[in-house]
Amino acid sequence: MRRCIMALFVTLWIAGCSDPDWQTKDISGLMPSLAFELIDENGNTVSADQFLGKTTLLFFGFTHCPDVCPTTLARLDAATQRMDEAARDDIQVLFVSVDPRRDNAETLDSYTAAFGPQFIGLTGDKAALDKLTRRYRVTYGYGEEDSEGSYDVSHSSAVFAFNAQGEVRLLIRDSDPMDAVVADLERLASGA
Amino acid sequence: MPLMSLTPHPSLPRLAKRWCSTFLLLIATTGTMAAAELEVSEARLRLLPGDLPAAGYFTLTNTSEKGVTLTGADSPAFGNVMMHRSVNQDGVTRMEPVAQLELAAGEQVEFAPGGYHLMLMKRARPLVVGDDVEVNLHFAGNQRQRVTFRAVAPTAQ
Repeated sequence: MRRCIMALFVTLWIAGCSDPDWQTKDISGLMPSLAFELIDENGNTVSADQFLGKTTLLFFGFTHCPDVCPTTLARLDAATQRMDEAARDDIQVLFVSVDPRRDNAETLDSYTAAFGPQFIGLTGDKAALDKLTRRYRVTYGYGEEDSEGSYDVSHSSAVFAFNAQGEVRLLIRDSDPMDAVVADLERLASGA
Repeated sequence: MPLMSLTPHPSLPRLAKRWCSTFLLLIATTGTMAAAELEVSEARLRLLPGDLPAAGYFTLTNTSEKGVTLTGADSPAFGNVMMHRSVNQDGVTRMEPVAQLELAAGEQVEFAPGGYHLMLMKRARPLVVGDDVEVNLHFAGNQRQRVTFRAVAPTAQ
């Protein structure tokens, strides 16, 4: 009896182990598939299924962020530049601004254009942003306004990677080495 | 520079000696009043479109013999410059203002992506990638040091 339980335990444990071929954090099955309703850079309401068919990288930030957001997007750009063209075309980066007060379709359009054609800006009202951030268990918040009206926005620094079917696969962090990010993006682009 | 070694040559006429003393005194005191310039390298300013705040990065080495305190910066190209530090706690990133940064003699600090950075706001004139931008670093004791930052693209690593 005990041996059966042990065998069952070990089997379940191994089944729960993440795929050792991913180099960044494997979160397959731990978060729901890609779903949202937001506003794109043309001011149109878009839903997640319009983005299926390509690998999607989801990142939360705001355009008035001088350091972390541009650094993360620049890293993703550098990673995709190291892929061959066909694979690179399969990657789209959704930059979701959690600062709709300062970021609208127009500001997002010029912002993402500065990083590359595969970067797409999205935003929404508080309800839509809360729904999406809760779905992926991230938070955001607004700091105090200074005398000039400027304020900081705290947000998650994580990049969520989804495959072409919209299933969550990876959590990519600032600390992940560039080689690991490139390898995983290539693997995603090839259909893993 | 000890003042004792800066004395006019004994063989000079008295009036000349007096002028020389005054002149040498001025040079010596000017030398001690102005702080030696500290070593700043890799100064770059990462531009973003429109009037979005830019980030200033550089490496500062206290090449002097005593501690210095960096208190801020200004630039003729921007209306407002602040020192910040990006902080990541439990997966949440935010910016903290930095009032001052003390550097002991020989110590080095890096203003780099993900950490300390200058936040340059309210662009006073159009800027393009490749421009040289003047930034003045402020130090305690009313010292200022002019540094030339190179404007780089948003995708610059």
